[in-house]
Amino acid sequence: MTNQLKTRQICLFFLAFMPITKLFMLPSLMAEYARQDMWLCALCNLALDGLTLALVLYTCKKNDKDFYGLLVDNFGKTLANIIVVIYAVYFLLKAFLPIQEQKEFVKLSLYINMPTDLLFLPFFIVSFYLCIKPLRVFGRVSDITWFFTLFGFLLLVFLSVANVDWGAVLPVGANGLTSITNGAFRALNWWGDCAYALFFIGNFRHGKKANAKILLTFLASGLTVVFAMMIFWGTFTSIAFRQKFAMTELSKYTTVINNVGRFDYVGILFILFSCVFSLSIPIYFACNLLQRVFNLKKRWIIPLLVNGLFIFLMLLLNQKMNTVTRFFVTVMPIVFLIMGNLLPALTVLLKPTQGGENEKTNA
Amino acid sequence: MKISTSLKQNEQLLRQTLVSSDISFTPLKIGDSDGLVVFAKDLVDKEMLGQLIMRPAFSFKGEPNGESLVQAFFSPEKEQIDNIKDTANEVVFGNVVLLCDGVDFALSFGIKKFEQRAIMEPPTSTVIKGPREGFVESLPVNLSLIRRRIKSPHLIFESSQVGRFSQTTVCLCYIDNVASGKLVKKVKKKLKAINIDAVLDSSYVAKYLSDARPTVFKRVGNTEKPDILVAKILEGRVAVLVDGSPIALTVPYLLIEDFQSPSDYYNSSYSATIARFIRLISVILALLLPALFVSAELFHLQLIPLSFLLTIVKSIKGIPLSPSYEMFFTFLIFEILNEASVRMPRYVGMVVSIVGGLVLGETAVNAGIISPPTLMIIALSGICLYTVPELEQPLSFIRLFFLIIGGSIGVYGLVIAVAILLIHLTTAESFGAPLLAPFSPLIKKDLKDSFYKGFLTEENSRPSSLGNKNKRRISKGENNK
Repeated sequence: MTNQLKTRQICLFFLAFMPITKLFMLPSLMAEYARQDMWLCALCNLALDGLTLALVLYTCKKNDKDFYGLLVDNFGKTLANIIVVIYAVYFLLKAFLPIQEQKEFVKLSLYINMPTDLLFLPFFIVSFYLCIKPLRVFGRVSDITWFFTLFGFLLLVFLSVANVDWGAVLPVGANGLTSITNGAFRALNWWGDCAYALFFIGNFRHGKKANAKILLTFLASGLTVVFAMMIFWGTFTSIAFRQKFAMTELSKYTTVINNVGRFDYVGILFILFSCVFSLSIPIYFACNLLQRVFNLKKRWIIPLLVNGLFIFLMLLLNQKMNTVTRFFVTVMPIVFLIMGNLLPALTVLLKPTQGGENEKTNA
Repeated sequence: MKISTSLKQNEQLLRQTLVSSDISFTPLKIGDSDGLVVFAKDLVDKEMLGQLIMRPAFSFKGEPNGESLVQAFFSPEKEQIDNIKDTANEVVFGNVVLLCDGVDFALSFGIKKFEQRAIMEPPTSTVIKGPREGFVESLPVNLSLIRRRIKSPHLIFESSQVGRFSQTTVCLCYIDNVASGKLVKKVKKKLKAINIDAVLDSSYVAKYLSDARPTVFKRVGNTEKPDILVAKILEGRVAVLVDGSPIALTVPYLLIEDFQSPSDYYNSSYSATIARFIRLISVILALLLPALFVSAELFHLQLIPLSFLLTIVKSIKGIPLSPSYEMFFTFLIFEILNEASVRMPRYVGMVVSIVGGLVLGETAVNAGIISPPTLMIIALSGICLYTVPELEQPLSFIRLFFLIIGGSIGVYGLVIAVAILLIHLTTAESFGAPLLAPFSPLIKKDLKDSFYKGFLTEENSRPSSLGNKNKRRISKGENNK
């Protein structure tokens, strides 16, 4: 299950999956809190995540055992199990809102008719299928998916960049530090991807300057989000907060679309494709952690239950999207800050462990 | 049971084992003793039988003993056998067995001869430029075609018999200082585990070499051309040749192999690269075009440019079927025509193509059952599928699956279906080699012979995804510059 990933695959993992979940509802939400300084909020989140990632990567370098093994060695099995279950719950919570917004996007933006929640259910087939695969599946999928993310993003930027009023993002910091930090705080659900690096502890081969390469890729992919935020505000300015799904809104005013149809949908579909994997990552890690604790022989049981739970919650909260969003941006940010940034950063204080039993197979 | 010195007893035992009417028991005199020649009538070269066995037997002087008997008969393929079971096996394999009274062993002579097809260009892989020889059904001929191309003592052939009744000869072929020892061992183990009545073709063996997990994609490569097989062996693969089959198997198999045509290696790198990208685009079109068109028609009209949309609206006016049923119906007709034209004799197949393509298609459009865009899309998708003929079967199945998904869930369903396909492909392996290598996992130096075809002089290392021993293909030095 814990096949070794390569440095390149981890770099591509962050490049392919980190920016895309932040291109749907987050820009309009940030526009509401920080207006033209929304990109500064993203920059703050990126800096926080970058710092956390640097510390987790340092832990990776010192340890041979995986995250669970590290916890067992430091705290004993019982406490390790409790921490791991808490983390599994955190990952499930982290997955919830992006999945809900993805569902809304598919329902409202992608289809001109037949808006039903059942349309989104096949996503859970992918999620389940991924959850029963070994960790190296993400390495291998990243090797291909990064191209889709990059192409999709570049296409959308290319189509929309001509309509941007770059002057609109100035003056920098016009809304004050409070609104910037407030915006960054409320966006914590979408950020905190540095916590995924906990899974790379003991699971990747440290090549030459591996940490620097991973960190630089992470920052570069984060900067694409910052750039997307600038384009978004520069395109819509004061009505930006009304554009619920930034991705489909960004490019729709391009003249080329009048001639060749919604050509930008190629980019959107490419991003959507990467997004399917991106949304599955927290579910995968949650299932993986629960599997470590319960150690069931039939590995498909936990993924089935977790995905079943998600379907149930999705149908249950079908009409409560606004309430759910409000809950996640007002009550939950502190939880995400602790679980996504603070605790992962503290792993650097743990006693290093050597002699892990992970398979050293080719990812 | 051991062969005794009594010819009568040996003959009796052999007659009990070999009861078939095509087995000949021919008595003869070897000097002063009695002898017996046993052979399958239709499998031996009669002329060689006379020259190598009958003539020396009649010209033999005196009482033969073991040593003089061996010296009296000359043949490049001669073997001493000391038990009845092996003697009977030699006969059914097409060898001639000679027994002599007073001698406690039999002599087996390999003088098989049976009708076989001439070496010709295989219909499945014709080339404009490059060698035209293809494998035939005879294993020795196929082995000679390989040996002629690799004149090295490192080229190893290892034969064994598979099939309880057929006793088909299966030959493992590899270069011992290139192919991984682990791989060779694994293939041998899998071949040893085959326990069926008969192996009638290499495809039987391919199924046993593949993993037990069900998949639409094959896990074993195949080729009918010795030049391709040799190139694959030189990359570190292991080949399996089966007597009676013109198709040789190779493992590990990578998906990219099916996008590589033999002509790519004999033409310029630029044209090969363009051709490979065309094949890739064709496969994508074949898989996604019908499904995308149906989902755009049903759920995402905004994807279609307005002028094209107006044309579609005009053409589907009055069509009684919904877009998904219409596409499915046309797809079904195409598959039926395809199946019929493959099964029918060649001259009838031509008629089927004309009747199917022109008459049925045009009539269906004129009758208002299907629309011209649908017909065109299915035709284009079908043609695209044949740019990579080796993948025709799995892709045809996936195309149908995508069509159903696209017609029922729309484009998001297609995104999901492609994601599932990608997960399946990225985790699939053939003998330890990832099916999607060198793209996933990404192996930069192996990309030189992927969709991009590098110059021959650039390809100085063997594909590392195959786990071969000897990585270097072109030695360093001035000569290679």
